[in-house]
This record gives sequence, C-alpha cells and structure tokens, in this order.
Amino acid sequence: MTARVLAREIGRRFADVASLNATLHWSQAVLDREAARLDVTPEGPLTGMAIAVKDNIVTTDEPTTCASRILTGYTSPFEATVITRLRAAGAMVAGKANLDEFAMGSSTEHSAFGRVLHPLDPTRVPGGSSGGSAVLVATGVVPAALGSETGGSVRQPAAFCGIVGVKPSYGRVSRFGLVAFGSSLDCISVFGKTVQDAARVLAAMSGVDPRDATSRAEPPMAVPATRSDLKGVVIGIPREYFPADLDPAIRASCERAITTLRDLGATIREVSLPHTRYAVPTYYIVNPAEAAANLARFDGVRYGPRHVGPGADVRALYQATRGEGFGPEVRRRILVGTFVLSAGYADQYYVRAQAVRTLIADDFTRVFADGVDLLFTPTTPTAAFKAGEKTADPVQMYQADIFVAPASLAGVPAMSLPIGRDQGLPLGGQLIARDFDEATMLAVAEVLERHVDATAEVRA
Amino acid sequence: MTWETVIGLEIHVQPATRTKMFCGCATSYGDAPNTNVCPVCLGLPGALPVPNAEAVRLGTLGALALGCAIRERSIFARKNYFYPDLPKGYQISQFDKPLAEDGVVRIESPERGPIDISITRLHLEEDAGKSLHDRLPGLTAVDLNRAGTPLAEIVSGPDMRSPGEARAYLTTVRQLLIYAGVSECSMEKGSLRVDANLSVRRPGDPLGTKTEVKNMNSFANVERALEAERERQIAMLERGEAVTQVTLTFNAATGEVKPLRSKENSHDYRYFPDPDLPPLVLDEAWIAAQRAALPELPAARRARYQNVLGLPEYDARTLIQEPQVATYFEAVVQAGADPKTASNWVLGEAMGAWNETGAFSVAPERLAALVASVADGTVSLQAAKRIFPELATSEELPRAIADRLGLVQVRDTGALEGWVADVIAAHPDEVARFRGGDARLIGFFVGQVMKRSMGKADPKRIQPILAARLAE
Amino acid sequence: MRIGEAEVRHVARLAELAVAEADVPLLAIQLEGIVEFVAQLGEVPLPASTGTVAVGPAQLTLREDVIDPIPLVRGPESIAPVFIDGFFVVPKLGGMVDE
Repeated sequence: MTARVLAREIGRRFADVASLNATLHWSQAVLDREAARLDVTPEGPLTGMAIAVKDNIVTTDEPTTCASRILTGYTSPFEATVITRLRAAGAMVAGKANLDEFAMGSSTEHSAFGRVLHPLDPTRVPGGSSGGSAVLVATGVVPAALGSETGGSVRQPAAFCGIVGVKPSYGRVSRFGLVAFGSSLDCISVFGKTVQDAARVLAAMSGVDPRDATSRAEPPMAVPATRSDLKGVVIGIPREYFPADLDPAIRASCERAITTLRDLGATIREVSLPHTRYAVPTYYIVNPAEAAANLARFDGVRYGPRHVGPGADVRALYQATRGEGFGPEVRRRILVGTFVLSAGYADQYYVRAQAVRTLIADDFTRVFADGVDLLFTPTTPTAAFKAGEKTADPVQMYQADIFVAPASLAGVPAMSLPIGRDQGLPLGGQLIARDFDEATMLAVAEVLERHVDATAEVRA
Repeated sequence: MTWETVIGLEIHVQPATRTKMFCGCATSYGDAPNTNVCPVCLGLPGALPVPNAEAVRLGTLGALALGCAIRERSIFARKNYFYPDLPKGYQISQFDKPLAEDGVVRIESPERGPIDISITRLHLEEDAGKSLHDRLPGLTAVDLNRAGTPLAEIVSGPDMRSPGEARAYLTTVRQLLIYAGVSECSMEKGSLRVDANLSVRRPGDPLGTKTEVKNMNSFANVERALEAERERQIAMLERGEAVTQVTLTFNAATGEVKPLRSKENSHDYRYFPDPDLPPLVLDEAWIAAQRAALPELPAARRARYQNVLGLPEYDARTLIQEPQVATYFEAVVQAGADPKTASNWVLGEAMGAWNETGAFSVAPERLAALVASVADGTVSLQAAKRIFPELATSEELPRAIADRLGLVQVRDTGALEGWVADVIAAHPDEVARFRGGDARLIGFFVGQVMKRSMGKADPKRIQPILAARLAE
Repeated sequence: MRIGEAEVRHVARLAELAVAEADVPLLAIQLEGIVEFVAQLGEVPLPASTGTVAVGPAQLTLREDVIDPIPLVRGPESIAPVFIDGFFVVPKLGGMVDE
C-alpha cells in the first residue's frame, strides 16, 4: 500500500469510529501531507505503519490540547522527540487521541471534549487516561498508538479494550514533548494490536535524549527475538495482587494464563511485595504534588486562551484563566498537590510518600534479585466499568489503579496483554520486569499471546 | 545605651556563560524582547530543562574562591510562586542541598579592621524574565530574554555590624568572583544584584526582627540604604514601637527606604526536588581540579606585590582592586619596567583611559619602553608624560615620538652653556640676590633654563653648569 | 485530618485557582476524603534511612555551553493571547504584588 492510499484508508477509518469520540484532531489534509513526507523518507523499521498519538504529546501540525479547555486552539511550535523518531523510522503520525484531561483519570470520562466510549459496550468506559489511543487500536483504525503512563494509563485501558499496552522503564523513552503530569512517573507508552507491533514502535522511539535529563544512556531497545517456549524463565506471582476478594473472573483469567505459562516451561513461584497496598495512596501524593507544579505554567500569559475576572489585574487573569480552563478532576489534583506540599504538611505527606515510594521500589528490587525474571498479575481489579460509576467518588476511581500504580512508582517496565473475556468484556494480565529488561518481558508476552485464547470466556 | 546593627547579604551574580542555565538560548544583554527564547525558557508544555555544565563549573569556582565546601551531591528544587515573568510558575533553584556551603571571606572593616564574614551557602538557580510596568499604559509588558539566565546566589551569615562593613564585604566578594573568572559582576548590566537583611539590637541581646532591603543599584547605595534602614529601625525602637518583618525598597533620589505592600501569598514556596533533574553529582577529583585551576586570588596577589615586588601597601592594595589593572601592571613589569615606576604609571597616567573606557590604551610593552627611556635619560619624566598619549594613537616607538616632538633631552654642554648664559644675562636682579645669599633662587634659574630650552634640557645637567656660572 | 472550607480557599489561592463559593463545601469533603485516604501512609514503618527515589538516572548529565536553542517553528506572537511590540502583555499587577 502506498503512503497516499494508506492516508486515505486511515481517514476513512477515523470517520467510521467518530461516534466513539476517540480522536480529538485529525484531518485528511494533514494525513496527506504525512503521506507526501513519507514518499521522500527512506524505508525504516516502521514504514507503512500508521500511529495515533495521545493529545498530550506535542506535534506541530495538529493542536495539542491535553483534552483541556486551557489549551483550546494551542498548536505547539516544537515537536516531541518521539514524534521525530517515529517519523524518521518511516511511521505515519495519524491523529491526536482523546484522553482524560491532562491524563488525570482512569476512564477517559474527564476529557473537556467529551468521554470516550468503549468499543464493545458504549455504556462502559475504555479505561484511561489514554482511552482514545486504546480505542483507535482496539477498533483497528491504527495498528499502534502512543499513550502516556503516569500510573497505569496505558496498561489499564489496554486491559479494558483487549489489546497490548506496554509501559517501558522510566527513562527508556524521552519525555521531551510529553506535557508533564507527574514528571517522576510519566512514561510515553505504546498500545499495539499485537506484542510485536508494540515492541517495534517502542524500539524505534527508545534511547537517551540530550533534551531529557531523566532519559537514560542505555543501549536502545531491540525488538526481542521470538522464542518457542519459556524454559528457564522464572515467573513470580505476588500474593498481594490476588486478595481473597479478587473478582472471580479476574482470578480465573489469571489462573488460566499462569497454567499456560507453566505448560510452556516457565517456573512459577509465589512471591511477596509487602508494600503493594501503599502504592495507591503514595501515588496520590507524589502525583498531585508534581502535577500542581507542572500545571502552574498554564496561566494565560504566554499561550492558551485567556480569561480575566473581576479586578482585571494579573491575579484576576490567573484565577479566571485557570478556574475556567481546568476541569473538576484537574482542579482536585492541583488542590491536593498544593496542600500536600504546603507549609506544615509537606513532611507529613510529601516527604513521607517519597520514603514509602522507595520501599515499594525496594520490594521489586528484592524479588528480581532473588532470581525472579518477571512478575505476573492481573492488570485491573475488574473489567471495564460503567460510565459514571466512579466519577462521584474520586478515591474509588483511584483504586482502579491498584495493580498498575506500583510499577509506575518503582519505574520498572510493565505491560498488559489480553488473557480472556468475561461476558464479552476483555480482561488483561500484567507482566512486570526488572528495570530496563523490556526484552524479557516482551519475549515472554509474545509467547503467552500465541498460546492464550484471549477471546475465550473465562467463566464457563 | 548603643544599638548594634546586624546585617546579612544575599548576592546574586550571573556566571559568565554563553547560554542560559537550562537551555541553549544565548544570554545576551539588550536584544529585542523575546528573541532569545525557546520552548524551555518560555515554559511551553512538554519542554524540559537540561543544566549548563559551564554554569556549574563557574559556580564551583566561585564557591571555592569564597572558601566554601562543595557538595558532591546537590539537588535542584522547584520554588513555586506565580509571577508574569516566571514562565513555569516555579523557579528552579537549589534549596536544602545547595552546590556549596560554609565559606568564609576576610574583609577590611572600616570600624573593626580585618574580620571574617561567613558564607552560609552558594547555590545555582535560574533568573526570571523582566516585567516592564511603564512601557504600555495600565499594562505590564513581559520580556523573557532574561528568563532562565544562570545565577549563583551567595548568602552571607548575619556577620556584618555596619553599612560600611556591608560595602566592604560586597567589594571583597565582587573582587574574588572577578578574579576567579566567575562573573563580570556589573550592577549596571544586572550581573550582580544585592538584597540585604538588617536588624538592630542591644549588644548581647538575641537577634532583633529583620527587614529586607531591595532595589539598591550601586555599592554606595547599598551603604546609604542600610544607613537609612538602620536609622528607621532605631527610631522605631526608641519610640517604643516594634520592628515588623517587611520588605523595603530604596529610593536613591530621596535616600529613603519605603516598605512594600506585603504579598498575600507570602513565602509558602512549597519547595520540592525537581523531578526533571536528577542529582548533580560532582566527584572529588573534578572538584580538586577546579580548585587547582583557580587563579591567584586578590589577597595572595597583594602579599606578593608587597613582599616580592617591594611595592608600598597603598600601591599593592590599589592595583589589585580590579584584576585587569593588576594584570596590566604585571605585563608592564614583565616587559622590563621597575615595579614601583610601573605602579606609578599604571595608577597615574594609564588610569585615565581605564576610568573612561574600562580598557588600557597603551600596550604594556610600549609603556615599559617609555619607562626605560626615562630611566636612561633619553627623555625627562615631564616629556614622557607628553609622549604617553601619543603611544596610544601612533605605532611609533617612544624614542621616535620623542624625536618627532623634539622631546629628546639635550645633554650637549655647549647648548646648555648657551641657555644658562642667556638666563643669567636676562635676570640681573635675581643673580644679584642669589649672589647675596638667597640660595633658594637656584630652582628659579633651573626653571628658566628649562623654559628657554622648551623643556628639552636635561635638568640633572643644568644644575652644575648654573652653579659654576653663578659662582663666578 | 479535617479539611475545612478555609483550607480549601487558602490552597486555591496558593494555586491561583478561582473556586466558586458554591463549590467549596463539596471540594472540602472530597479533599478530606483524599487526604484521609493518603494519610494511611502514616502507619508504614520507615527504616531509619530510606534510599533516594529509585527512578531515573543516578546523576545529571550536563549540557555543553553552546548556543543551540531548540527552534520554534512559529514565534511567540503566534501562541500568545496578547502580544504587543514584541512583548507578552498582561494586565497591571494590581493587588497581587508591588509594582
């Protein structure tokens, strides 16, 4: 297929799924321009692949809004490193995907431009915050899409939508051009229809970037070779991820996957990560604290729409621009983040959370040092939930991150892949690897993907 | 009973880097507004800071010059507050783990003689942009060219006891930083700024409530402002009022300090480590190499001028004030001039051009050649002073200029005899008085001979001839 | 930890975020719920010294001091809400801070 034909085809598919509200910006003209550019780009590892991009990654030819009114109409005057790298690898950058405002959420209900619908059941959420990217891959519009993870924002929607979602190690992929949310947690991540597609995209965009001081000077990631079995691989099953009250379908899907892993030759070993239950509260201190500072730059002075309230002075400008520009969840996080850093409370909350965070990271270090190659867990506590089900209670929404937050806090790579269905809704299994060992994780995932029937109902 | 004044200073200096602290934009001064800007210093969504190695090196050199211990692991933090010229809504600054701590600077107190002032810390941070309030009526115009410029903030202990000591401390710190090559330290160009904290107390009492004084645009004004603030506080206390913590600005025109309205959100900066920036780790070997690379500092240089070159204390002290002056002086000596003579020339004739332009107009080798022609009697000192400006504008050697201007000293006895005879003939009254015992008139006759010779006669040779003829 | 309405107003002011008076009570309840939830970290026994945060490089890589700004494909005038004579323009500072 020529690039021009592909551009037309992608345009048709965007139009077909318009009702799901997964895309914030796309135009045939921009797709055609991408195609023209590809015509003169040398063949690369991603030639012929169209990739949608979460709308919190800056591009220069489409707006970047972070699904927030505070960036309505903003088009970045510079481009993210990952975009430059994907284009150089021959990929077609195709459309900007909907998200929870500033990536804050687990359901993509918190977009200023309307919620994203689950492709299999429009009354349900696709997960979040990278819900738009997940839906574009799940519906076959594109074979791969970029999302961003701060605390599970790719793995969780991948599980809900029945696709592969990979969060690399913190520092594996440059954050330059990713609109910062929780800077010590943020990772540009990938959705793929298959493990192979996700791995190819990740390999093409990984590697140290002189523009991001938190990117790491490790050799770029390669697409792992396909293996036929899992002999010699030790897979840990952390008991904290299988509490007594775990949803029976989730438990059944995991047990089936674990059996498959064992049948393929892997050694299965129960392990313990004792600080797991503190991950979500830790996350909800560290993340809002960083977010409150990261979102201070949206002040109506240099870019974005401006509102000026009564008094007509600079404070009136700040208060009104930010008051009108940010939606409810963003406002909550800014307030919480400001509170946990404010005088008199910082030690009790922020400083303590950072200390607990190191304990959570130590848990992982310990099991991986103990001969475990990978951890296998459920990705989510439930299948896709109903829209509106958790929006009233922020803490309940935060608990949806319970199995994904720990790897984010520890910075280690983790991914979700489909392992079965419950009443038609996809369920995801999570693999967590040691720092910078995406290769083992992806190779094992690829074997599991071939041997698990992800469309089979797990409850007979 | 007397009052004791307690002063501490915060000095911000701009390390002399080509680019900003966290991005590759130029740090030029005076360009069109918002032209030296990029995604990083504009605080655009998605941009990230990457620190400048040269700013770290210069900060380290400065800290070493101030006797500080360098931290092997320092942390950049975010200082959160809103201001239109602060693009990110926070300033990246080192907070509880600064680059350097625990330094000491010896100063010459006008009241107490040599004293040590402690340096609490030196940390690196980024500057804000510039807000112009008078550019557009009723509006504030924001220029972000300066945003992100590196700064080293130097915080002293509360060790100064008078405005004069504050000024002496500033002078010393500035000198050290210029010597170490850290910064130009120009208040006019904004590469050095000072904020002062001042309190008063009865001697022996605990520290009083301090106020902060800002907006002082010269060292002299720092002294004036602190004097005004000291008077204000003492007057309050003597009226039985309490001093309140406040920030004041100095008005150089009226000599008064005026309290600013206090910010409503005062001082809850919510510092936390910047997650975009891993720890700054400097290894011991690197720090040692910087220490070794530190140029000779003013105190050492002054001692050498006195002890090795034999200069009087005044000369040594004056020459080291500005490192360029000292460097120039050394080049003149290097080119062969006697140190004391070189010092006289550098602090004399050569200072005119320096004071006007900040540069020396005559190459050191040429000044040394001029000094040599005085020493060997080719020209008189007076003639040399006439030759000096010519050295700046022409390429000729001093001897050639002396020839061209007819300033080579006449030592030919025949010519000298002629001028002496003329002078004696022209002043019979003075000759009579001299012969009558008024010996002081010898100076008059020498002057007359010099005049008649148009300054060319060698005065050392006139005197014996005059003495002989007058004695006849 | 109780979060009162005064606390919400104070924090909103620090964050320069207009909050409608009508929203304050609900926000106070929600913030209190969140803060109560995260406060369970108080029960975690901490070792005498914990390591520093485990993510990212162990130390900074610095940038050479070379003029090399990241280019803007469009100038600041194209993104600014108000831009006059080369300046970003905002209202007077007013009660916020001193001019």
